[in-house]
Amino acid sequence: MFGRKKTATAPKIVDQEITAHALAKAVADGDFVNFRLLFQSFSPARVSSSERFEDAKYAYLLPDDDLESKPEFREALRMVREEATWRHIQNELDANRPAQLPAELVLLLADNAVRLGKYTIAAQAYELLRMRRRMQDEFFAQADTALDNGNARRAVHGYLVATGLEYNYAAFPEPLPLVPDWQTKALILHGEYPRTPDDCIPLQQPEQFLRTALTYLLLDGRAAARIEGRPVSVRLSFLAELVKQRDPAWRDFVHRYREACDQMREFEARIQHAMAERGGGRVSLAREIEEMLGEDPHKIPATLLGRTIEGGEWWQYLKELAYTHPASALFVSRQVIGETEIIVPRYRGDSPVPSAVGLLPAAAANV
Amino acid sequence: MPTTDDGGYVNYFEILDLGPDAKPGEVRKSYRTKMKNLVAEIAAVEITEERRAAYLLEMAKLNAGLFLLRETELRDAYWQDRQELINLEHEWCQAAQSGADTNELRKSYDSRVRAFLSRYVEDAMLAAGRDKECVEVSHWDPAHERHASRILRHYRNGLYQQILERLPFAEVTKPDIDWDERRKFVAGVLAQGAN
Repeated sequence: MFGRKKTATAPKIVDQEITAHALAKAVADGDFVNFRLLFQSFSPARVSSSERFEDAKYAYLLPDDDLESKPEFREALRMVREEATWRHIQNELDANRPAQLPAELVLLLADNAVRLGKYTIAAQAYELLRMRRRMQDEFFAQADTALDNGNARRAVHGYLVATGLEYNYAAFPEPLPLVPDWQTKALILHGEYPRTPDDCIPLQQPEQFLRTALTYLLLDGRAAARIEGRPVSVRLSFLAELVKQRDPAWRDFVHRYREACDQMREFEARIQHAMAERGGGRVSLAREIEEMLGEDPHKIPATLLGRTIEGGEWWQYLKELAYTHPASALFVSRQVIGETEIIVPRYRGDSPVPSAVGLLPAAAANV
Repeated sequence: MPTTDDGGYVNYFEILDLGPDAKPGEVRKSYRTKMKNLVAEIAAVEITEERRAAYLLEMAKLNAGLFLLRETELRDAYWQDRQELINLEHEWCQAAQSGADTNELRKSYDSRVRAFLSRYVEDAMLAAGRDKECVEVSHWDPAHERHASRILRHYRNGLYQQILERLPFAEVTKPDIDWDERRKFVAGVLAQGAN
């Protein structure tokens, strides 16, 4: 009696062509989030929903001319329009319950995600299809074959895809794809202050260093264990390629690393000189002042990172550095200088690793 | 992912090498023998991260076995829940094969299997770790619990995945996978990456 008057609204009409194009775009882009959204109860593709594709906020769901001309999109659209698939899509969008996604489109979406390097999305889609582990095994197997044939580049790519498809079943509250959280992994790597050279990761024996480096960079001890039995030369070339593929900007770090090494050498030479002077009892106030006027060693972390963090602690520099250049954490070490702790460059002069990964032009003395 | 011959529905009688009609005294005896052997084995090997995880899980399983099976009430509740869940899975699979609408069965099964695994895997193992008798024999302490929480979650989700593998597809239609075509796809991706 006193309620609001109901206003008659025209029944919503969904343009089927727009729905097909939106689905094809999500599949071609390897975008599982948008693909799922199109089947949700509030999806603009549903007649029962008040949302509409015509709203500007949903423009991102629709393909542009550039995408429509690509073969991936055309293939996705062809599969969406296949009679049985389209009938299933229509049934699911009309039903008043959670939709059952069409497996053939989810599979194509996962494959496109792999091609585009969106491994966590691919992992989710393959997991839904219950084939993730087997896909991982296939990538590992073919990567191992490539390694047998001496093709490190192909092998590393295979390992990166396979480990990218890894799942973290211990994630809370639900299992999730494993993500490369270098900023955390690097901190764990340097969790304990090195008391002896053996504790210092960059100064480990080459055999041990390779094990540490491959486990860290592959994010997975099981993956690293697959390469364990191969000759050192093979593992070395694999590591060099892995560093490059993990970090396309590795060369930028190399330049800064060499500069930091120069600063470190200069500082250590100064320390040695000062200690020798004191030992000989020839130290004077003028000499001490002159020693203090040298380069401040606390600039070394900033040199490594390429910028200064205001009031930055060693672990802040390490996290930022590992996030930008994952492999960099393997060639630095914690060092207390005076009252503060910093990260400094370190490597073994007698190890083939630093030159293999391009850090050094040739073997040099220990830093 | 763990694979067990109990189909993912953890069977503590099997873990303690006992039949389902074992008496509390037999449960205690078997538990003590197995835990003693496990502790001796741990003391004899070098502990790596993987081994620590495996041993913690073994310990947690034995502890939960004692915790659940030594008391009639708890044991009967556990065994009944397990049996009902197995029956429900069977009923759902049968219904799905006959083409009936299984949405309600699926929802009911899914919530119950998650509850079962939470209660009888994670919760039982953590509760057992604070039980006086278990602590006395296994020397389980808060440090073990801190390490174990992640391992137990991984184990529980692994069991869930193991069960899921054989269930009817629900969130997605059943895929038709041609593994020869898959191998070609992988080869194509690697060739593209190598160029």
